[in-house]
Amino acid sequence: MTTRLDGPEKVTGAALFPADVVRPDFLHAQIVFTDQPHARLVDLDVEPARAVPGVVEILTAADIPVNEYGLVFRDQPVLIGPGNELTAVAENISRWEADQLCVVIAENIEAARAGAAAIKVEWEELPILGDIDTSLQSTVMLHPENGLDTNAYHHLRIRKGDIDAGWSEADVVIEGTYEVPYQEHAFLQPEAAISYIDEEGRVTVEIAGQWTVEDQEQIAHALDLPTEAVRVKYPAIGGAFGGREDMSMQIVLAAAARKLAARGIRRPIRCQWSREESIVGHHKRHRGRIKARLGARRDGKIVAVEADCYLDAGGYNYTSNKVLGNLHLCVGGPYEIPNARIDSYAVYTNAVPGGAFRGFGAPQGAMVAETQMNKLALALDMDPIELRLLNSLRDGSMGITQAEMPLGVSLPFVIDAAANAASEEFQVGELRPVATLPSEESAIRRGRGFACGYKNVGFSFGFPERCEAAVELFGDDEVERAILYHGAAEVGQGSHTALRQMAAMAIGIDYERVETVYSDTATSGDSGSASASRLTWMSGNSILGAVEEATKKWNDGERPARGEFRFVPPPTQTLDPVTGAGQPNFAYGYVAEVVDLSVDIETGHIRVDRVICANDVGRVINRTLVEGQVEGAIVQAHGYAITEDLQVKDARITNPRLSAYLIPGIDDIPAEIRTILLEHPDPRGPWGVRGMAEMPLVPYAAAVVAALHDATGVWFHQLPLTPSRVLAGLTANPL
Amino acid sequence: MKIALTVNGRKVGGELEPRTLLVHYIRENLNLTGTHIGCETSYCGACTVIMDGRPVKSCTVLAVGADGADIMTIEGLARDGQLHPVQEGFWERHGLQCGYCTPGMIMAAVGLLEQNNNPSEDEIRHGIEGNLCRCTGYHNIVKAIEYASAKMRGEQPAPAEWEVTA
Repeated sequence: MTTRLDGPEKVTGAALFPADVVRPDFLHAQIVFTDQPHARLVDLDVEPARAVPGVVEILTAADIPVNEYGLVFRDQPVLIGPGNELTAVAENISRWEADQLCVVIAENIEAARAGAAAIKVEWEELPILGDIDTSLQSTVMLHPENGLDTNAYHHLRIRKGDIDAGWSEADVVIEGTYEVPYQEHAFLQPEAAISYIDEEGRVTVEIAGQWTVEDQEQIAHALDLPTEAVRVKYPAIGGAFGGREDMSMQIVLAAAARKLAARGIRRPIRCQWSREESIVGHHKRHRGRIKARLGARRDGKIVAVEADCYLDAGGYNYTSNKVLGNLHLCVGGPYEIPNARIDSYAVYTNAVPGGAFRGFGAPQGAMVAETQMNKLALALDMDPIELRLLNSLRDGSMGITQAEMPLGVSLPFVIDAAANAASEEFQVGELRPVATLPSEESAIRRGRGFACGYKNVGFSFGFPERCEAAVELFGDDEVERAILYHGAAEVGQGSHTALRQMAAMAIGIDYERVETVYSDTATSGDSGSASASRLTWMSGNSILGAVEEATKKWNDGERPARGEFRFVPPPTQTLDPVTGAGQPNFAYGYVAEVVDLSVDIETGHIRVDRVICANDVGRVINRTLVEGQVEGAIVQAHGYAITEDLQVKDARITNPRLSAYLIPGIDDIPAEIRTILLEHPDPRGPWGVRGMAEMPLVPYAAAVVAALHDATGVWFHQLPLTPSRVLAGLTANPL
Repeated sequence: MKIALTVNGRKVGGELEPRTLLVHYIRENLNLTGTHIGCETSYCGACTVIMDGRPVKSCTVLAVGADGADIMTIEGLARDGQLHPVQEGFWERHGLQCGYCTPGMIMAAVGLLEQNNNPSEDEIRHGIEGNLCRCTGYHNIVKAIEYASAKMRGEQPAPAEWEVTA
């Protein structure tokens, strides 16, 4: 078993995270948030801050040459204020409490904070569109530059088959409205970075991110520089989960280093966010509301699906239109659905932006689709497993967007594996009662629930997908050693270990003989992001290509032999605006879960006693890393389903602390996680690999909801299932 | 104010602002950056160090409160290049992913094992319940500490599941 490449430095404290780089000549930066969910800047006076002893420089909107950014489209000013008027988006309006106003750079952090406090700013308050409903009803447009007369700025449709004929065929109809909550990434390492001008004159940012080249390009755009004048380098990354996919402090720190350099000051700048700044200052998993209808014949065959989905995008798009697309694909479930009408909307509000978080729309979709299916099974008096297998997508099936599913649809296998483990290995025996709360045994109810799901692997909907690798082979007659150059981000998932393993496999030499150079735009190409369960899949293919190129040169006698390769998977498509037809993805992962839980009906506390997770990973490259992804994803899903409750009032987050936003601790987690890894090869994956790291998060909440229903007879349509919510639900629906 | 203390066996000290937190003193003054800051509100445990034999969250201790104390940080754990059994356990049993919580988690485990050299699974969970991890799901952390506990008693750690099934 290959242990982690980064294990020794991480267990000795030697690993350097972005806040761990200490240089004697550091300057310190304090980023000032507007603290205004919706307001127009009337006056900004930074002169009092300049007068604070120790303050060296202040960065404002006027210092950003092209004051706009965004991962998918550029709808956000880098800094709020009078800028250079080169952007479509109005620069002087704050649309989010954590919009950034300016950056104070000082000799020490105390001076930087004192400078920040001395800034004089005057705002004209604008109506706060604090949630989806308010925003949809308002005549105030948050982004008038897009020319729309609604804040529902992105609308996706599916029109498949004949929906009226579908309803007339339906013997049973299930309806429900679901409220899905925000989720905060809560990676343990708050945002931090350093910036400086490197030895070759490049403005350089060292930060924890997910995609070096994307960071580099966004910095270059805003600073109006050629990309090669910008360098992005990742030191150790303290977790990401999608929360580092968008810019936090990359652009402003690069701009600050350039501004100082122009004054002849060549000192590195450091910036660190507190936990509160981190929670307020980056996007969340989207909250949303989904109204769904599901129709089936008496024999269990699905005949119709309808859904209206609304996601709260917050003040800016981030990746909302893509997350919405994923929800759109998942909200009907991974089933053969002959007739469908689905309308999905992303809505601008003044609340915290929604964006990437492990699962990327699929967990919200699965919560709806699988709860609907579990209700249908009950209504039909049919086994929920049998119902799934009857309707499951298979090879040759047409997906919800009227395109054939990419080959290797293994949903029936994961459903069988989870169900078999539940019925054969785990007869419900003696389960422990809720651990921490004394309770009458009679107050404990137990239940079991099932759910399954699918999610795309890799970028979707026509977003350019690629992955580059370079390999050098050294030796005389035989390859003695090799070097792999790759941009892949090691966010904790183990990519740097798995990529080295794959390079060794591709070359046919020992793991120990492969050296690696990672995550620096100065040395490595475009890997694409550590997201979408894509990195092993895409990187493996890029490594196979690079090794093939290097081997050709090796055979021609070149020493060392260098091969470079850019892997591009089959193209995907944006969906047809009217029917939603199109091929959105080139690969999927499949997963099924069984949850056993105990609930105390007097307190509302839920304890999950066991989770069985059957995940098709195609081919295991490193078993312990893969199992670690399953366990970690399930515990994050547990937080999403039960413990994590982000409070937002008047578009402001009111509990931005780990003492009040409760990610699972060791006493909260499922007592037992049984991981079943299936290896049905993905025909397009390297060595058959499938993407896997998001899948276990996808169906968990729905499985918990089903188990809670099994235990109490009550359906819950809103997450998280905190004790107070559970108790309220049980009180409203007496057993 | 002037303080003098021992950190990882080394005498250190000097003048500092009375309000300086121990974690800032360790990171900024001593440049021992393996002790991490995750919340500064004593909730996450990433800053856990051993102070006079007991694990403490160094964001809740003023540096002046550590005057005269004997502190051990993650950097002081390995001896002569040999990993401490708890460090070895976290590596061998995959008790870490991103590694940010790891030093604090390891120090909490070291503190636990110094009090109790043969903890049950429940006692291990109780021993690290003040430390948050967002990546691993905790199960491998428990296994890592079980591994270390066996090693420290001079016993052979139980084989990992993959060694049994291989």
